[in-house]
Amino acid sequence: MQMTAQAGTVSAAPRAKRLWWRDVVGIALIAACGAAGYWLFPDNLALLTRIVAVALLVLSIDLIVGYCGVATLGQAALFGAGAYAAGIACVNGVTEPMTLIAIGAVAGAVAGLVMGAIMLRAHGLAQLVLSIAIVQLFHEAANKASAYTGGSDGLAGLMVSPLFGIFEFDLWGKTAYLMGLALLLLVFIALKFVVASPFGMLCRGIKQDPLRIRAMGAFVFPVLLKMFVISGAVAGMGGALAAISTQVVGLDSVSFELSANALVMLVLGGLGTLYGALIGTVIFMGFEHMVSAINPFHWMTMVGALLIAVVIAAPGGLSSLFERFSASRGGKA
Amino acid sequence: MTAGKRILGAAVGALLMSSVSAYAETIKVGIIGPFSGPFALQGKNFQAGVEAYMALNGKSVKGHDIEVIYRDLPAANPAQSRALAQELVVKEKVQYLGGVYFTPDAMAITPLLAQANTPLVIFNAATSAIMNTSPLVVRTSFTTAQTTHPLGKIAFDEGVKKAITVVSDYGPGVDAENAFKKAFEAAGGQVTESIRMPMNTTDFSPIMQRVRDSGATGLFTFLPSGPPTLGFVKAFNETGLKQAGIKFYAPGDLTQESDLPALGAAAEGLKTSFHYAVSHDSPENKKFVEAATKAIGGADQLSFPSVGAYDGMHVIYKMIEATDGKQDAKKAVDAVKGLSWTSPRGPVRIEADTRHITQNIYLREVAKGADGKYINKEIQTFADQKDPGMPTQ
Repeated sequence: MQMTAQAGTVSAAPRAKRLWWRDVVGIALIAACGAAGYWLFPDNLALLTRIVAVALLVLSIDLIVGYCGVATLGQAALFGAGAYAAGIACVNGVTEPMTLIAIGAVAGAVAGLVMGAIMLRAHGLAQLVLSIAIVQLFHEAANKASAYTGGSDGLAGLMVSPLFGIFEFDLWGKTAYLMGLALLLLVFIALKFVVASPFGMLCRGIKQDPLRIRAMGAFVFPVLLKMFVISGAVAGMGGALAAISTQVVGLDSVSFELSANALVMLVLGGLGTLYGALIGTVIFMGFEHMVSAINPFHWMTMVGALLIAVVIAAPGGLSSLFERFSASRGGKA
Repeated sequence: MTAGKRILGAAVGALLMSSVSAYAETIKVGIIGPFSGPFALQGKNFQAGVEAYMALNGKSVKGHDIEVIYRDLPAANPAQSRALAQELVVKEKVQYLGGVYFTPDAMAITPLLAQANTPLVIFNAATSAIMNTSPLVVRTSFTTAQTTHPLGKIAFDEGVKKAITVVSDYGPGVDAENAFKKAFEAAGGQVTESIRMPMNTTDFSPIMQRVRDSGATGLFTFLPSGPPTLGFVKAFNETGLKQAGIKFYAPGDLTQESDLPALGAAAEGLKTSFHYAVSHDSPENKKFVEAATKAIGGADQLSFPSVGAYDGMHVIYKMIEATDGKQDAKKAVDAVKGLSWTSPRGPVRIEADTRHITQNIYLREVAKGADGKYINKEIQTFADQKDPGMPTQ
């Protein structure tokens, strides 16, 4: 095994170097797109902030589905755990935004631990059904505990104090967006390291062939559980960001619908690249916003048409188009 | 309009208005509601109410043209609600916000109002507490407590001494349960048992068994309108509770007009209390129903959100009149405090202190109308009902 690993690193070295450069360019591009959004759409910052929050959720799904091969339709349970934890903390006097994000991350991680521990007991279809059951249970718990969560009326009255004591969360949403964008970039960079680490490689190995990984002497369960915790922390931060910028937490943040929508965005963008998660979220939510503003009554058919078109034209997701493009160019060079 | 006419109009306008304040400007009104998805019919009712009002009262106030911008919010989603409201205010420059079907969506908009200098007129969202979150909110719909309250006395007066409550386990259900309990016990009755059903319950026969076992002679219930109501009413009839003489009470959400064709004969005789029935007999309502039916495209699609929207537009028009097209949220809201008028639902008033609508609540019975279709026939009026949910909040 040592030998193969060595051989692996030797052959991977030049490629890894090239990928490293590609990631720096990619991250710079994300930052540039984020800044461009700030300058180009100064009137839509609340929407852009919502996109950033959902992008974190979609990234967290990518970690589990795209890197570990565990299908889930219940990721909103982790998003909602972060949102409600931040919301409840805020109502009870913890109003510092960075602290709230941290609280969201911890709550999401804990929820991820619980969810992973349950889901990883099953495989395949049963696993998918379990994920749906878990998000429904979270949803019902949030509905029942209305003394803490506000139930179906939503948890309102979040008064978040200014960021660093200076920048207020106001109508125009500049603070919320820039904070969200910075958070997204940091998380993205951190996740790039995670998925490129030996741990990330192991996850991908498990996705391809869990039996072989087990035969190699690695334990599958704790590795996947660890990824669930990381994914939970990312989703929880997204939830906390949504809570801070909206100042209300509703039951929709722990709904099956949100989980399913986020999975659709991921599939649209492409699995297992992290970039796909961002591309899918931006395209889906941007398109949805655009057509629903043009025709608020019949826009859903347009979104459906887009999804069908993408699935037929680019079954690997939109990001696979870029891959294919760069691969064909690389082939010619 | 020809150029000549326009110049003439401008000249006449200049002659009439010596004050410099008003040069006619288009005033935008942003309406947020569920225009697609499972609640699309309620959103369509918003639209029908708005269009009916504009058809009957003109599309301009004091020379200011009114432009309505619709934004779709298919289900309760506070984050999206806030984003839509922000965009309407910042990008579309609307001076007034209206609509809003679900409570959490309203809660997400109210913190923005002061900074946006924009009033919000709620056409539906029915939780009492919303009104406390901003002084710039006005509501023209109802609250669950308001429509439920008279039922307590009605039930007691009809000889029900012991009642059982069965509600769906979510915010409005719990509100209705509390309101009925309070009113019924104040009248002298006793609620023997309170059952809260999970939201997605489809088999109601075990619940009917519990109702039978409880020994109560009256049943109060609240469910989200639509298919669950249908199942519940059918179970009530089929398990023999109706024949056993157990009286059925519910707020009018359950028998909204758009559900009556599906409920059919099963609903006949059900007594509900509500602020508006499409069959309400008044000249104002006749005019309204005619215009709203034209806007929505079918008489049997019309139900209560349309009248909330219609009166909401009335309030917005009055606000525009008072501010003469200038954006001044406080002045606009102050202008409609204490405003009273005759709505299609009957006489109404915006309370100065709560900014919520005071109105008649009617006891109705599902019966066949003149044309053989089922209607909510009004049989008793409780005049001048405020929101009993407010003082305790």
